Amino acid sequence: MKKSRLTFAGLVGAVALTVPFAQASADDEITRGQLMADTCINCHSAASAEAGGAPDLSRYPSDLIVSQMKAFRDGDRPATVMDRHASGYTDEEIEAMAAYFGQ
Amino acid sequence: MQEFSRRNFIKVVGAGSAVALTGIGCAPQKTRNNGKAHVVVVGGGSGGATAAKYLKKYSPDVEVTLVEPSATYYTCYGSNWVLGGIVDMDFIEQTYGALESRHGVKVVQDRVTAVDAEDRSVRLGNGDTLRYDRLVMSPGIDFRYDAVDGISEDDAERIPHAWKAGDQTRILRQQLEEMPNGGTFVMVAPPNPFRCPPGPYERVSLIANYFKQEKPRSKIIILDAKDGFSKQGLFEEGWEQEYGDMIEWRAASDGGLVEAVDVRNMTAIADAGFEEVQADVMNFIPRQHANRIAHDAGLTNGEGWCPVHQDTFRSEMDDNIYVLGDASVAGAMPKSGHSANTQGKVVAAAIAHELTDREPVSPTAVNTCYSLVTPDYGISVAAVYRFKDGEMQGVEGAGGLSPTGADSRTREQEAQYTRGWYAGITADIWG
Ligand SMILES: Cc1cc2nc3c(=O)[nH]c(=O)nc-3n(C[C@H](O)[C@H](O)[C@H](O)COP(=O)(O)OP(=O)(O)OC[C@H]3O[C@@H](n4cnc5c(N)ncnc54)[C@H](O)[C@@H]3O)c2cc1C
Ligand code: HEC
Repeated sequence: MKKSRLTFAGLVGAVALTVPFAQASADDEITRGQLMADTCINCHSAASAEAGGAPDLSRYPSDLIVSQMKAFRDGDRPATVMDRHASGYTDEEIEAMAAYFGQ
Repeated sequence: MQEFSRRNFIKVVGAGSAVALTGIGCAPQKTRNNGKAHVVVVGGGSGGATAAKYLKKYSPDVEVTLVEPSATYYTCYGSNWVLGGIVDMDFIEQTYGALESRHGVKVVQDRVTAVDAEDRSVRLGNGDTLRYDRLVMSPGIDFRYDAVDGISEDDAERIPHAWKAGDQTRILRQQLEEMPNGGTFVMVAPPNPFRCPPGPYERVSLIANYFKQEKPRSKIIILDAKDGFSKQGLFEEGWEQEYGDMIEWRAASDGGLVEAVDVRNMTAIADAGFEEVQADVMNFIPRQHANRIAHDAGLTNGEGWCPVHQDTFRSEMDDNIYVLGDASVAGAMPKSGHSANTQGKVVAAAIAHELTDREPVSPTAVNTCYSLVTPDYGISVAAVYRFKDGEMQGVEGAGGLSPTGADSRTREQEAQYTRGWYAGITADIWG
């Protein structure tokens, strides 16, 4: 688990640094999943990862978001702060934001 | 940029707005986005710069103009690290280049001097007028020196507040550097509500860290207008462990409530004159209210803050104006950079939906205030917010404080995540 996580973060990190926002068209729906996911970005970006903070979540696999968020929420994975954040979301909400991240 | 006159706007919006207008009193006009709507954002700080950037993300067709008087913004977050000598001023410097070149925000370096809500326009310092379809205000705070006698804004060079980062941070840092070993640093801490509830206590922590290394015989006294403060247990635990009895905190009801300051003699006077505390360096953090421009625009309540509909941050005073960040009344959300940042996204989504006539999605926001007790000792308070019963409320069972009694490894990790947070949030706002 830990190993795949690290490899993955390494892979996307370099790319994400140079990619600006995907250009949404005016008709794109801004979903609740996206709004929730956008509240994670300030701790989880290429910039935070590079500074030794929380890992970049852009293009992080959906199923990993779901499993890790539930693990934080249910106390199955120790954390300094994610337990306190994850417990603010229902299963449906976690799945909605994971779907957005996984795009 | 193409000027967008009111007449044009009405022509473009056409029938849709006419219908909307016949609704309740001053229901806002909606556009179907077949012409370019124009949003003006006042203030390029944590809330305003986020709102501008995310408006372009959520609604690329909307023209966004950000008005900010300074070419350089110094984040208040990290300014306590400057005061403690951990980082230099350039570490907390942010600029507006990426907002323009990467995100298509037009940045105007000027001050908004007046808001004409009727005409839906703002006046700039250079005399120009900017018309808006929607106005977003995130102008931050101003100080109220009237609550304490003897001190005014004019004394801020001798007795800095350093509660807006920049020159004030430099001045206080220089005074601390010039203070002799064995001197006394006195902080006068403000009453609620104010910008960054744990900020004063992180500040004394890092000044203590500096003293411990460079001037170990020095003393720190906090004279507080409150009887308790954010993360108090965690701070006090850290202070005792790291700094022994260097830091003394006096509660308001225990002689801490300062009534006057004798600026010339650098003395704070409390307890009906019975208590006089002399300082070598004094940091007076005044009582606060919303920035002047929000008052002038008629957006404030009796307490001097801006009431908003907290699901969208639309002003209760004017349907075409949104107010966020420190200036707003935001329910359980503290006045922090992290709050302002997530509010900026709520506002951007609300405006994007409104301008394209879509139902807004229910807002979601978070906050985390990290503080450093030493460069390797971090603590935090977090919350997740939902709109409930007309207010932003913390989700029950979520959020809360770092544990007390945690081991040094945990504190070290949180200190590392504090630095990661700084890099992440500043990239999210200005990057
Ligand atoms: C010492 C200290 C430490 C802090 N630490 C943290 C922390 O660790 N974490 C955290 O989350 N928060 C922290 N904060 C709080 C954070 O800095 C503020 O809550 C946040 O910046 C508020 O954002 P804002 O957009 O409301 O206001 P600001 O960021 O203050 O932005 C307001 C902007 O509006 C501009 N402006 C004002 N008037 C006008 C006008 N008339 N026309 C045009 N522009 C105008 C100003 O120039 C300014 O750039 C700290 C604050 C302090 C003082
Ligand atoms: C205040 C900063 C902060 C916010 C906001 C935040 N996180 Fe985290 N996240 C962290 C930290 C720090 C960790 C490392 C675990 C820990 O110590 O809590 C982490 C770890 C994670 C991990 C595990 C990553 C890995 O590979 O190890 C996931 C998944 C995650 N967060 C998802 C989210 C989601 C989804 C959100 C938004 C709902 C979010 N986080 C919001 C700070 C944050």
